[in-house]
Amino acid sequence: MDYWTLGLHMTDTSSTSKSRLAKASTFWRSYSKNKGALFSLFFLIALILAAVLANYLFPGDVEAPNIAREMLPPSFSAILGTDYLGRDQLALIVFGARTSLIVAFAAGGLLAVVGTMAGLMAGYYGGKMDGLIMRCADVFLTIPVLPLILVIVALTTPNLVNVMFAIGLTGWPVMARVVRSDSLALMKREFIEIERVMGANSRRILFKHLLPNQLNSILVYASLSIPAVILTEAALEFLGLTPLSVSWGFMLNVAISYWIRGTWWMSFFPGFAIFITALAFYFVSEGLKEALNPKLKRRRESLAAQIAERKK
Amino acid sequence: MVDIFLGLPSYVAKRALVAIALIIFVGTLNFAILHLAPGGPETVFLNPRITPAAKALILKQYGLDKPIQEQYFLYLAGMVTGKWGLSYFYTEPAFDVVVARIPATLLLMVPSLILTVLIGILMGILSVRRPYTFLDRFLSSFAFFFYSMPVFWLGFILLTVFAVFLHVLPAGGMTSIVATNFDFLDYLQHLILPMTTLTLINLANFSLLVRSSMIEVLDQNYIMTARGKGLSERLVFYRHALRNGLLPTVTMIGLFIGSILTGAILTETVFSWPGLGSLTYDSISRRDYPVVLALFFIFSILTIFSNLTTDIVYGLLDPRITYD
Repeated sequence: MDYWTLGLHMTDTSSTSKSRLAKASTFWRSYSKNKGALFSLFFLIALILAAVLANYLFPGDVEAPNIAREMLPPSFSAILGTDYLGRDQLALIVFGARTSLIVAFAAGGLLAVVGTMAGLMAGYYGGKMDGLIMRCADVFLTIPVLPLILVIVALTTPNLVNVMFAIGLTGWPVMARVVRSDSLALMKREFIEIERVMGANSRRILFKHLLPNQLNSILVYASLSIPAVILTEAALEFLGLTPLSVSWGFMLNVAISYWIRGTWWMSFFPGFAIFITALAFYFVSEGLKEALNPKLKRRRESLAAQIAERKK
Repeated sequence: MVDIFLGLPSYVAKRALVAIALIIFVGTLNFAILHLAPGGPETVFLNPRITPAAKALILKQYGLDKPIQEQYFLYLAGMVTGKWGLSYFYTEPAFDVVVARIPATLLLMVPSLILTVLIGILMGILSVRRPYTFLDRFLSSFAFFFYSMPVFWLGFILLTVFAVFLHVLPAGGMTSIVATNFDFLDYLQHLILPMTTLTLINLANFSLLVRSSMIEVLDQNYIMTARGKGLSERLVFYRHALRNGLLPTVTMIGLFIGSILTGAILTETVFSWPGLGSLTYDSISRRDYPVVLALFFIFSILTIFSNLTTDIVYGLLDPRITYD
């Protein structure tokens, strides 16, 4: 049999466009059953749209101070109140979504790529390579990450790009562990063994078999790591490391000096934005997990039934 | 049995070696960051307003005029002897500044850690006793809810509600300004809000872990045997399953010291608790780099040692762990 056709038969990547469509519709049916995940997805899409279209939603310079309107509580003219410079908080929060979402996707993406590569290498090569990569991961799991990021960002130039790199390069170990253990399990499967016997090179095994076969779990863990990224980035801004006036974390940093006057809206709304966005990513990742791994749900249901049985 | 007691010292020694290697690594990291920073250690470490003569003297004192490999070893040696540079703000050794703040942080972290573990375990047990019911789902969502909250935001809300609007609890600090000597009741009053914040944020770590590890344990054969003997479900649960189910939680306590420290940094900032966390915030805004680096070193040592301790405790609790 032809080597390449054999290879194609052995993975799911050969699926035709029709079956891919069918898969997508099964996925969507399963995903949309989880109402929290569905609602969160719509919320995030709306947030991304608002962030992209912020210039049209709030024309003019939203950062321009307006001392006459400083620290007004929520009212019809400013639904979320105004801040210490009299700026509309709703506009600032929508513009702040840009910072949060950009860092979330960039740092989350970097973390996923580094973690996946490290995990694949560790799982595929094994032995010394595995030991080396996993000890590195252990080191990053042992050292407290926020202080490390603080030191890196404080001593290099504190800007958004450095924040993204600091978060991305310290957050990869958990991802690497997941990918490694999945790769190790896959390496024992027959189709990989056949490929090896037929003389497939490492690049083919790594990127045609190991990677495509665990894209689902990579996607789930990447989305699961985004809330942590959002919270870390907000914490860095809250600590005043990257003084961007339009970011949720820095709005809270400013609010800390004013809370004694009872200006609760200055801290409540930016923090609520961070919270609700992080929570939405959690729900989406939960939904993805169940929709992409139907076994998990079935196992859960059978376990629930078993336990209910025992109770009787 | 003999094997275990023979193996234990070498196991402890091995874990301790790993811990020492990690500490050296953190020192190296500090050194590297210092030299990779724009301008290098001279601009980072020295007060910009210093006179040239004093600058030369300090460069000599800290060995910054020597070749880089020699500097590296001097730096590591300085880490051991507590020569962590001078704070620009306090004009005192950074080591002394940092060490003076440790007790306050412990006074916040330890009560909160105890509370987190107790409530977390309790929530986990409640969930597992009635899995996949309304109570279980409610407790999981409750934990997740606080888990995705920014620590400092939760602190703000509690502060605004209880200190600004209701005036029932003090707004910040560890003791009242008027208090002259340490008053336990006063400390407790100040502790309530920051402790609640820190506990709520970290609950999910423990409760979800207890839940998943208990579900796993309850699925094992020896539990089936115990049930088969006709033991009551209560006895099976508390006598047989709980001990094994709680083991992973013990390791987690060590692993989560890092995340609790992170939470403590932010909580202290909001509540102006005079510990390491608010020192971190202040030092960053003052660009007091020697103190920032010293803080990172202290945080790392704290986490590394708590990991070491849990490793050893885990080894003592679980006879199946082999010490090699």
